[in-house]
Amino acid sequence: MTLRNLGFAALAVLFLATALVPLSGNGYILSLFYISLLFTGLAYGWNIISGYAGYLSFGQITFFGIGAYFVAIGTTQFHAQWWLCALAGGVFCALLAVPMGYLMLRLQGAFFALGMLGLGQSLRIATDVIPYTGGAEGIYLPPGANAVVVYYWTFAILVLAILLTAWIDRSAFGLRLRALREDERAAGTLGVDTTSTKVRAFILSAIVPALLGGGYAWYLTYVEPSSIYSTEIELQTVAMAILGGMGTLWGPLVGGILMSQISEALSTKFPQTHLMIFGALIVVLLIALPRGIVPAVNDWLARRKSSAKARPQEAVT
Amino acid sequence: MSALLEIDGVSRSFGGLRALNDVSFSVGEGEIVCVIGPNGAGKTTLFNVISGVFPPSAGDVRFNGKSIVGMPTHRIAHAGIGRTYQIVRPFVRLTVLENVTVGALVHESSYSAARRKAAEVLDLVRLSHLADTQASSLTLTQRKRLEVARALAMRPKLLLLDEVMAGLNPTEVDAMCAFILDLRKIGISAVGGIEHLMRFVMNISDRIVVLDFGRKIAEGTPKEIATHPEVIAAYFGTPIET
Repeated sequence: MTLRNLGFAALAVLFLATALVPLSGNGYILSLFYISLLFTGLAYGWNIISGYAGYLSFGQITFFGIGAYFVAIGTTQFHAQWWLCALAGGVFCALLAVPMGYLMLRLQGAFFALGMLGLGQSLRIATDVIPYTGGAEGIYLPPGANAVVVYYWTFAILVLAILLTAWIDRSAFGLRLRALREDERAAGTLGVDTTSTKVRAFILSAIVPALLGGGYAWYLTYVEPSSIYSTEIELQTVAMAILGGMGTLWGPLVGGILMSQISEALSTKFPQTHLMIFGALIVVLLIALPRGIVPAVNDWLARRKSSAKARPQEAVT
Repeated sequence: MSALLEIDGVSRSFGGLRALNDVSFSVGEGEIVCVIGPNGAGKTTLFNVISGVFPPSAGDVRFNGKSIVGMPTHRIAHAGIGRTYQIVRPFVRLTVLENVTVGALVHESSYSAARRKAAEVLDLVRLSHLADTQASSLTLTQRKRLEVARALAMRPKLLLLDEVMAGLNPTEVDAMCAFILDLRKIGISAVGGIEHLMRFVMNISDRIVVLDFGRKIAEGTPKEIATHPEVIAAYFGTPIET
């Protein structure tokens, strides 16, 4: 189908353009693309537990923060390679997600969402008293030309997150996740080990932000609790994934690109009022497309397809 | 004893309400047992206890001679007990084929093999033409069939069918009867929970268990039950209400 090829062509162009951005040497463009990559990557991480498994989380920023602090502390206190610290942060968050998942995923719906939010915020506050974190003053990392290397790090993680999602989308694991999202009890009586399936999704959803957070610390060269465990980052991530389409392969990408670009364009055009306009735009879009952009486009394509070919014969009774 | 399923003195209370009170019976291999009783007699509670949705307050449930009390639902499913829900619970945002594939994954480790298996089961319940439709757009009858198909895809040794006839028209009831009788040919036992439709119960059951207010008041062949004085008094004797 030509439309499909068109999609792949667009994706290839996007991929190449993104890969070539650092060669332009333009710091502004680089930072613009970096933020897009970062948020889109976070949206992919969030999409696994919240989109596919249906457990709406407002606390994935916790893992982002832990990853950032791993790099900040590891590079300053132990003089380790930043990317090794970031990987260690990923491993730590994967391990942490096991007990946390078993505990938190007992909560349903709003209780899980609020519980995760609370967890993230309590860690932000706890950072003040945990040794080596620098407390509220934060940590200054060794400055340097970190932007390009973090850019490629983030790009690589985003690509891996997309590939991971593509696998989930067409695997037995993904089917079990979607089944328990729809009806956990029915999934259980059909043989789905709902607890372990959820926890595995939660682990994957923890690793992605941890790795991205590690890069973020190295990029900013400064970490401090309120800018790292930031509800603003969390909420923007969630908004992107929802706008693009939760539980879909391309939703986070579409939402991520669209929202980061619109938000940037608005903030240059309307420096005073851009947040207000942006908020209103999200509201309008979600009223028009409550399930997000990707499902709406899919529906439209399906309708076009079914009206193109003759209606299939409905069976008797 | 060669019983596949043994219900042994099972009670279940919800607060002060005794939904099940010391119920015992067993189901043999390839047997079709109907549990009948008026609305609120405890049929769904019984199915929930057997399938592990919640444990009994007292008593034991044995499957293949082993106690399954306290086992999580998915392990009971893997042991070979499939069930359908009275209020159908399709995965609405999944396609019909995907719905059935979830059940097929109990025995198939590969996703593509499970999908093939699921497609075969859809053939069996005549839903193949809707394989790629979202379950949300099915009619009630189709949803009932999907519910059965999903459970069947697990290749259970025992199938618990909770009010599988409710909401079906007479033609559909006949089709479902034939379908349940076919189960026996492929070696599946079934326990059906049915509120009314006595004609159907009499036709397909090897044995009937009668519940009333959580207690077993009678058990026997359809003939014995039809003439059982307590059953007539407690069940057939009272007008059926909805």
